[in-house]
Amino acid sequence: MDEIYEKLTDIFREVFDDPEITINPETTADDIEEWDSMSHINLILMVELKFDIEFKQSEVMRFENVGDLAEAVRSKV
Amino acid sequence: MKSEYKSIFERVDDQFNIAYFCTSYQCEIGNGDRVAVRWIFPDLRVQNITFQQFEDASNQCANMLLALGISEGDPVFTFLPRSPELFYFSLGILKIKAIAGILFSNFGEEALLDRLGDSRARILLTTKGFLRKVKAIWNDLPALQKVIVVDLDEHESEAILSFRALMKDASDEFDIPKTEPETPSVIHYTSGSTGKPKGVLHIHKSILRQVDTFRNILSVEDGDVFWCTADPGWVTGVSYGIVAPMSQGITQIQYSGGLKAYVWFDILENEKVNVWYTAPTALRMLMLEDDELFQSYDLGKLKHIFSVGEPLNPSVIDWSRRVLNKDVYDTWFQTETGAIMIANKPGMEIRPGSMGKPYRVKAVILNENGEIQPDRRQGRLCLEPGWHSMFINYLNKVDVYKKKFASGYYDTGDIAYKDESGYFWFFGRGDDVINTSGHLVGPFEIESALLEIAEVIEAGVIGAPDEMLYEKVVAYIRLNPDITWSKAVELKLRLHVSNKLSSLATPQEFLIVDSVPKNKSGKIMRRLLKAWYTGEDVGDISTLEE
Repeated sequence: MDEIYEKLTDIFREVFDDPEITINPETTADDIEEWDSMSHINLILMVELKFDIEFKQSEVMRFENVGDLAEAVRSKV
Repeated sequence: MKSEYKSIFERVDDQFNIAYFCTSYQCEIGNGDRVAVRWIFPDLRVQNITFQQFEDASNQCANMLLALGISEGDPVFTFLPRSPELFYFSLGILKIKAIAGILFSNFGEEALLDRLGDSRARILLTTKGFLRKVKAIWNDLPALQKVIVVDLDEHESEAILSFRALMKDASDEFDIPKTEPETPSVIHYTSGSTGKPKGVLHIHKSILRQVDTFRNILSVEDGDVFWCTADPGWVTGVSYGIVAPMSQGITQIQYSGGLKAYVWFDILENEKVNVWYTAPTALRMLMLEDDELFQSYDLGKLKHIFSVGEPLNPSVIDWSRRVLNKDVYDTWFQTETGAIMIANKPGMEIRPGSMGKPYRVKAVILNENGEIQPDRRQGRLCLEPGWHSMFINYLNKVDVYKKKFASGYYDTGDIAYKDESGYFWFFGRGDDVINTSGHLVGPFEIESALLEIAEVIEAGVIGAPDEMLYEKVVAYIRLNPDITWSKAVELKLRLHVSNKLSSLATPQEFLIVDSVPKNKSGKIMRRLLKAWYTGEDVGDISTLEE
């Protein structure tokens, strides 16, 4: 697992308050019970803060899974 | 029992048990092999579950609960995602005349503690993933004896048990005891503007109105496929997602994934759904998609669309007529009413934006003195007591319950008016409760959670108009003088509320103020905060603290 995924894992664990969460590129909101449209905003805010990047609204809407999110992060760091 | 119910329930005079009608009765009349639920999982895998399978599994749960020492009147809760096990267990609870409480799976520790503590729940069904939250608060729940875990293969300890292991040992034969109509059945928690959430207690007789409205408002006919999208953690998901369709032998869809337009419309088309009961927020989210997406679907089997939870704005009806070639009928009810009370229905002229007309209940508009108001004058929407699905108490809060009926009518807390044709029109809440995407959240709970963070000195929370959610949660914050507002502080506050209460309660907007306005007795003047937010006249502020 590369550095981005390691960091994203920590972020997911903190946002969803679950130290056992594991993620992979195919992970979607259906795999994490607490991941809904409201907590998605928390997730994006945390990703922006930890990677010191910013997403456009249109980018945020396009994320279908963790892989999309990780690639978007990779393109900005 | 009134004759109108004879046609719905032949055995209603000697057996009122909801679970009896949902499973045992269905098997007795030959529906055992019929699919009760087509369960569609997030990965789109489908499991057909027949009435006989529900009967056997819920019988096992009933026997399991008896063996664990649960008896009539004991509160037993579930806290897990929407799943077949949740249904089996809840029906098993009802079969032994214990009280079933279904907790929304997105609740955080504080929300769980409030509800499990107030109800003195004795047993909780959950998942391995949620067990951590339960363990964190268990020391503060002296009544909670056992936690049963759905996805645990073996018992972890004497108090943490495996659902699978218990089911293996439980017989699938069970005789449901005779259940009187007034026997407590289900408890739902609802938020108020002050204090902790209130436990709304219902009785088995509620099934009468749930079925009546299922047939005569939602217009579900024998042979129809029904889909109620509500989560069973809320009253709609129980009244119309479990009780009404199952007790009528109707095949229904349960989908445990999230809202994706193409998945939802695949389900409507492929499952040949005839009647769809959903929420305005969901419809508004679907409206964000291009019209072409929907026009590629064949919705020929879909007869009716209904909505519930928040006012249905006319633009949704316009969209549905234009894109889906269907009307959307708005219905109105509350956790306390247990079933639909005011509604639009097929055959009735839709007046877009109206709640519809009262169904088999007298609804009136009262002023603050309890006087009935003339047409088109706004006031408190009240209902004449006595309908079958009326709640019988707020658990441990009988004074609050009595206050709701002080005028002789049940005070819904909603502000509305009636027009000359008998249609009711919702204006807003008469209190500070926030209706966000169809779910009520209490500002007091959110303020309390925010004040647990050292950075916050004062907090005042309101609901503000929102195009998508109907209302969004807005928090006015006075920060500790050593703190500068930043994205990191915002995130800290958001995560704290999300994880303590639920994501629904998370403020969508924070506004930093020098002080949160209070009256002379120290009560937060949320009315003033709302006026600040919307730019409306602040009105009388003579009680404002200096």
